[in-house]
Amino acid sequence: MTVQANQRRGGGGYLDRPAPSGLADVVEIILDKGIVIDAYVRVSLVGIELLTIDARIVIASVDTYLRFAEATNRLDLAEQGGGKPLDEFIGSMTESGASGKVKGAVSGAKKALSSGSDDDDDEERERRPAKKSSTRRRSSA
Amino acid sequence: MTRTAEMEPGELSDTEEGLFVYGIVRGDTELPGVMVGLDGRDVVTVRCDRVAALVSPLAVQRPPGRAKELLAYSQALDVVAESHPVVPVRFGAILPDAGSVVEELLAPDEEHFHALLEDLQGRAQFMLRAGYVEEQVLGEIVQSDPEVAELRERTRDLPEEAAYADRVRLGELVARAIEDKRGQDADFLLDRVLTLVDAHVVRPVSGLAPVCDVALLVHSDQRAELEARLESLAEEVHERIRLRLMGPVAPYDFVGEG
Repeated sequence: MTVQANQRRGGGGYLDRPAPSGLADVVEIILDKGIVIDAYVRVSLVGIELLTIDARIVIASVDTYLRFAEATNRLDLAEQGGGKPLDEFIGSMTESGASGKVKGAVSGAKKALSSGSDDDDDEERERRPAKKSSTRRRSSA
Repeated sequence: MTRTAEMEPGELSDTEEGLFVYGIVRGDTELPGVMVGLDGRDVVTVRCDRVAALVSPLAVQRPPGRAKELLAYSQALDVVAESHPVVPVRFGAILPDAGSVVEELLAPDEEHFHALLEDLQGRAQFMLRAGYVEEQVLGEIVQSDPEVAELRERTRDLPEEAAYADRVRLGELVARAIEDKRGQDADFLLDRVLTLVDAHVVRPVSGLAPVCDVALLVHSDQRAELEARLESLAEEVHERIRLRLMGPVAPYDFVGEG
């Protein structure tokens, strides 16, 4: 993630201090926040309303576990002074494939933006209760 | 009730255009110069007593858009939030005309919006995200859990299809270990910053890298101290955890009824 990719910035700071400019940043910040106007006074724009930006939670699943296992196996423990050096044989083949998959899980929410899919059915299941802290204001018209 | 000169009630009701609503500000808010919103249209205010809505005209039948519109929405709100309290309205809200904005959105809840805006005066939202240095934390797990180390030895030289059960078990152990670490590390980080914020909302995270993702409501008097504390905290933990602070942004997480 970007959190890791960012190195120390000018001024010697360790705290990464980006301006929220890119789409990914904005999606992270906004999610589906803000007060809600009741549906019936809300003229939906085709397409736009589908943008129920969904911070997709990576739910525990076999698929997730396999990604974690791959990441663990890719680890080069030699650099940390423990374990054995990675066998060269594993090489590039599995490594490149695996890193793509791990990243894919994290950036899934952002891809939803351009995919056009409406995942309303899954929301209840996959969102966690913490989301309730963003309470909604409904205007009664 | 009064309205600004820019937008007369019912002006757009016979057209194909509606009003995209960004958020709600105090009635006496003067926008910082010309503000451009969705589709390059000017953002204006529609006032109702002590509150006003930030809106811009939008063709209702326009082709769908996503990324560009979302960016325009957040930029408009953030620009206003720099100098005025603002209550964001969830992205995607469109009302038929200025009259509906007043009658259906502002008037029924004028008191509530006014109170919210008073409460937000002088405060802004920041987003704090913490993420693991992945190799570091995975290394800790391998070295502290013999079963993980053993499973790793057993599976890593095999082709991806082989040792399926062992791989699943390995991943499950790693996932649990990360969950444990995440809980401890998130508590540690939050303990250090929450004394300097007026409110916070912890957002759920999962996966390998994230430690925590939290929205902070910060008073302008506390901002410098918070930034200084986060800087020293980031230095303290940087070998394992990277910290990232974004903002100020509009208070998206702090406009609920709770």
